[in-house]
Amino acid sequence: MRRPLSPGLADDMLEQWAPALVFLAMCFAAPISMLIGAAVLRVRARTVTPARLDSYECGEEVDGSAWIRFHPRYYIVALVFVLFDVEAAFLFPWAVSLEGAGWIALVDMFVFLGILLLGWAYAVKKEAIKWQ
Amino acid sequence: MTPEMVWVGLQPLSADLVLTAGLLSVLTADVLMPPGAKRVLGWGALATLITAFVALIVLEPTGWSFGRSYHGDAFATFVKAVFYIGGALAVLAGLESSESRWPRRQGEYHLLILASTLGMSLLAGAKDVITLVVAFELMGVPLYVLAAWSRDDRRGTEGALKLLLSGGVSTAAILYGLGTLSGLASSTQLELMANHATMMPTPFAAIAAAIALAGVGFKLGVVPFHFWVPDTYEGSPSPAVVFLAVGPKIAGLVALVQVLLAGDDGLRLASWAPLVALATLSMLAGNLLALNQSNAKRLLAFSGVAHVGLMLLALAMGTQDAIASLLFYTVAYLFTNAGVFLVVHALGGDGSIASFDGLARRNAGLGMMMLVFLLSLGGIPFAVGFWAKLYLFLVAWGEGLGWFVVLAALVSVLGLFYYLRIARAMFMNPPADPTPVKVDTSTAIAIAVCVFGVVGVGLYPGPLVAAAEVAARAIVP
Repeated sequence: MRRPLSPGLADDMLEQWAPALVFLAMCFAAPISMLIGAAVLRVRARTVTPARLDSYECGEEVDGSAWIRFHPRYYIVALVFVLFDVEAAFLFPWAVSLEGAGWIALVDMFVFLGILLLGWAYAVKKEAIKWQ
Repeated sequence: MTPEMVWVGLQPLSADLVLTAGLLSVLTADVLMPPGAKRVLGWGALATLITAFVALIVLEPTGWSFGRSYHGDAFATFVKAVFYIGGALAVLAGLESSESRWPRRQGEYHLLILASTLGMSLLAGAKDVITLVVAFELMGVPLYVLAAWSRDDRRGTEGALKLLLSGGVSTAAILYGLGTLSGLASSTQLELMANHATMMPTPFAAIAAAIALAGVGFKLGVVPFHFWVPDTYEGSPSPAVVFLAVGPKIAGLVALVQVLLAGDDGLRLASWAPLVALATLSMLAGNLLALNQSNAKRLLAFSGVAHVGLMLLALAMGTQDAIASLLFYTVAYLFTNAGVFLVVHALGGDGSIASFDGLARRNAGLGMMMLVFLLSLGGIPFAVGFWAKLYLFLVAWGEGLGWFVVLAALVSVLGLFYYLRIARAMFMNPPADPTPVKVDTSTAIAIAVCVFGVVGVGLYPGPLVAAAEVAARAIVP
C-alpha cells in the first residue's frame, strides 16, 4: 500500500503540486494586471453614486452595519450543532462500509451515538439551547 | 469476533474504560441531582480515579488495541499512574472550595478534570497519529474551560484567552506538522512515520517536524513559547492550577516521547540540537524570569518552565537511562508542584509573596509543608527533587553533556534564592493578618499525600528508580 520510496520524494511532490502553483500565480496575476492596466489606461468612473460606495454582497441590499453585537446564545447553539455535524461525518462512511464490517461495527456506532446522545441530553437539561 | 476477542482488544484500555464510565456517570448525575447535593459528584470523581488506578495496578494492561493504534505497556502504566494521582489531587483540592465558591458549577469542575485526565491517559499509549491528536485535544479542551472559570475577573479572562489562542494555534501547528509527516510516509502509524522520516530526511520533513515541535512547545510552555504560562496560572482558580501545572506538562512530554521515540532506532537524534536548545533556553530563562516575581503563582509558573526544560533535556538524549530519569523526574514534579500549588490554594488570597508573610505563625504545619516542597523544588538532598535532578545530571554527564550539567547546577543555586524568598516570608516576616489559616480536610489530605510522596520517595528512591527503568525499557528497547 505504501508508495515506493524514492530519493526525490520532495521533487515528486513539487511536480504534483505544479498546477496548484500555476493557479496561485494566476490568482495573483489577474488582479494585479487589472490594477496596473487601469492605472496605465487611466480608466476611471466619472460619477460617484451612493450605490457605488456600498458594500457588495451577492446583490443583497445592505441593511444596517455589520459591526453589531451578536447574541452569545448563537455560540452555544452552534456548539450543539457541531455535535450533530460531527456525528453525520462519522455516520456516512460507517453506513456505506457497514456490510463488510460486521456486528462489532454496529455495536461500536451505537456506543458512540449513545455517548453523543448523553451529551445532547446534558445540553438540553442544562438549558443550553433554551432561548432566554 | 467472539466476546473473548473483544475483551483481549479492550484489556489494554481497561483503566481508561473505568475512567470513561465514571466520567459518563458523573455527567449524568450532574443533571439529575438537585442543586444542593452535588458534593457527591466530587466523591464520585475521586472514586473513579482511585478505581482506575487500582485497575491499572491489578490488571497491568498490556498489548495492542484497535489494530495498531494503541499499545498498553509498562511505560503507559507508569505515566497513567502519575496522571491519575494528579487528577485525584486536583479533585481533592476542589471538593470544598467548589462547594463554597461555585456551588452550581461544582459538577462541571470535576467533570472537566476527569475528561482531561482521560485524554492524558489515552495519550499514554497512543501509537497512531490520529489517536494521539484526539487524545491530546481531549486533554486540552477542558483546560480552556477550567482556566476561564473566573468569568468576571479581568485577569482570569485574560489568562484564559491567552491559553485558548496559543492552544488553538499550537494545535493547528501540531496537526499541520504531523499531518505532513504522515502524508510523506503514507501512514498514520507513528512508528512508520518516524522510520520514514529518519530514512528519508528531506528538508520538507524537517520543516514539518520543526512546526510540530513548536506546537508541542507551546503546550509545554517552553521558552520561547512560554508567555501564556504565568498569566494563565495567575488568573485561573487555584484548585484548577494544581491540575494545570502538572498533568498537561507531563502529558506534553509523553506526546513527544510517543512521536520522537517511535521509530526502529528511537529518534537516532541523540541530543537532537533543536530539543537541546529548547531545553537549555527554558532552563535558563525560566530561572532568570522567576527571580524578580512578586506573585508566588507567577514565580512557580516560571520555575515550572525551568523544570520542564530539564525534563526536555532528558527526552532529547533519548536513551533508555535518559527516559528512566525523565519518568523519575515526572513523579518528583507531580508531588512537588502539585504540593506547592495546593499550599497556595489552601492559603487563599491573591498568591502574592506578601500573602505568605508569617505563615509559620498562622499555621505552622502548612508552613513546614511548604518548606518541604520548596526544598524539593530547589533540589535539596533527601527530598525527591534532589534525586530527580541527580539522576538526570548523572545521565547527562554520561552522555557528554557536561556543559549542560554545570550550567544547570549553577542556575539551581539561583533557584534556591527565589524559592527561599517565599520561605523567608513565611518564617521571618511578621504576619499582616495574624488569624490562623484554616485548611479544609480534603485539601489537607491532598497536601499530606504530596508530602508523603516528596519525603517518602526522597528517603527511599530505590523502588521508583526500578519502576522507571522497567517503564523506560518498554519505550526504548
